[in-house]
Amino acid sequence: MNDAVLSFSDIRQDFPAPGSDAGIRVIDGINLDVGIGRFVAVIGPSGCGKSTLLQMAAGLLMPTRGTVHHRGRAVNAVNREVGFVPQQAQLFPWKTLAQNVELPLLLRGVATAERRERVAAALDAVGLSGFERYFPSQLSGGMQKRGSIARTLVYRPDVILMDEPFGALDAQTRMVMQNDLQMLSHNAGATVLFVTHDITEAVLLADNVAIMSQRPSKLLANIEIDLPRPRNVFEPFKNPGFEDAYDAVWTVFRSQIGIRNQPH
Amino acid sequence: MNDLATTADRPLASRKSSAWRSLASKAASGLLTLLPGVALLAFWQWASGRWIKEIYVSKPTAVAARLYELFASGEIFPHLWTTGQELVLGYVIGVAGGIIGGYALGRSPRLAKIFEPYVMAFYGIPKIALAPLFIIWFGIGIGSKIALAAIMVFFLVFYNVYTGVRSVDRELANLTLVMGANQRQLTYHVYFPAAAPYVLLGMRMAVPYSVIGVIVGEFTSSIQGLGLFIHEASSTYDPAGVFAGIVILLAFVAVANFLAGRLERRLLRWKTLTATAPNDI
Repeated sequence: MNDAVLSFSDIRQDFPAPGSDAGIRVIDGINLDVGIGRFVAVIGPSGCGKSTLLQMAAGLLMPTRGTVHHRGRAVNAVNREVGFVPQQAQLFPWKTLAQNVELPLLLRGVATAERRERVAAALDAVGLSGFERYFPSQLSGGMQKRGSIARTLVYRPDVILMDEPFGALDAQTRMVMQNDLQMLSHNAGATVLFVTHDITEAVLLADNVAIMSQRPSKLLANIEIDLPRPRNVFEPFKNPGFEDAYDAVWTVFRSQIGIRNQPH
Repeated sequence: MNDLATTADRPLASRKSSAWRSLASKAASGLLTLLPGVALLAFWQWASGRWIKEIYVSKPTAVAARLYELFASGEIFPHLWTTGQELVLGYVIGVAGGIIGGYALGRSPRLAKIFEPYVMAFYGIPKIALAPLFIIWFGIGIGSKIALAAIMVFFLVFYNVYTGVRSVDRELANLTLVMGANQRQLTYHVYFPAAAPYVLLGMRMAVPYSVIGVIVGEFTSSIQGLGLFIHEASSTYDPAGVFAGIVILLAFVAVANFLAGRLERRLLRWKTLTATAPNDI
């Protein structure tokens, strides 16, 4: 894949461990390409370093070995061409919703009139028009998450990195958000690298599902999900071919989580 | 769920009466707050001369008379002017130093590693013990009092700012960098607002300490000032004069606290919000 926007090559990551010089090896040789306009989900057991990959792509963490390339350039400083949607919404509590969404544009020196326009458009896209002057503490968890996504979409980053963004939401809110994200990323033609531990979520949203092993983690498989879009996230099993796709992922993934043998 | 809507829907008349009710309840709670103070003053007035000799405790009416006399004759103004200058300058220097020092050490782990033990060691010194030394260094004029007030204020503000800056969420700072911030923008958009509650808390706590610094300095040795006035009143067995001086200091601290509170509410509006958006996703 040479049209990769983001490519991880031969990534290894050791973290210092208390009482040992060698440290803990979390990632042990991962190669992964994220093609242009693709939605790639990364799943793996907890503690396998999924989020670490995102940190590396954002240039916030340098791999112990190997390189991350973004459009051919090695990432060795903070990568401002990406957008990061963290687990918690992480809106600035001292800024109103509109000021939050405006900040990336302000930091990038976008002119006032254009800023206002793009903030309005981004808030409209996530369904938060009318809440411009609310502070984050006045918004529900789902609304904060929407605000966080709007704050990323507003500056049209080349790649959007999402770190279990819906993990902390209740089940219904999550489905609605998944549906919205599917629509938004499709309309924007965005390239997304999406970390999750939820197989259903991965299969429903992604074009590719990359499966990581337990620590020290390697890439077990990179499975293409060829379901037609738009997909029905509310009734996953009603998507033609969903069962097979889920099965393909699950077959690889099940070896990585400790399930006691039980007769079917 | 939505209080705003229900208030707007209610008829005007009932809103008006509820406004009256809230005003009345505010007045009632205000009176309730005043009650202990009034009771204390009444008791003082009554007990003075009956239970305790007036020469020890004076009495509220005598203190009030003394205050009136001091202001009417203008006798107190030079003292007020001197002490006021010392307080304001000491406080401002201490706060500025505390913010700069606390911010620098909070942002730079390397600086913190070198200087933190020293700051903590100096923090442990009872600053009042430095008063005689400062008199030698800065003379018996306002310089030594400013220095004493400044150093007391400095440590308090320093510690609060240092804690505040270090409490900034690492992830939020990183996120802001990815959004495109340079270091200056990171400071302005993240570190300052995040540390603001701590800075303001430190500034508020520092007000009485600046008064302690100045008054102790003036007690130790001075030519003019409220501390000197109180000191002289007490050494001439004039409790009304002592209390008059204390009342003036009290008024100063109360005004400063009020101003600090106003500033805090203005800058930290985002922390004290109660209304919430309708809870549909």
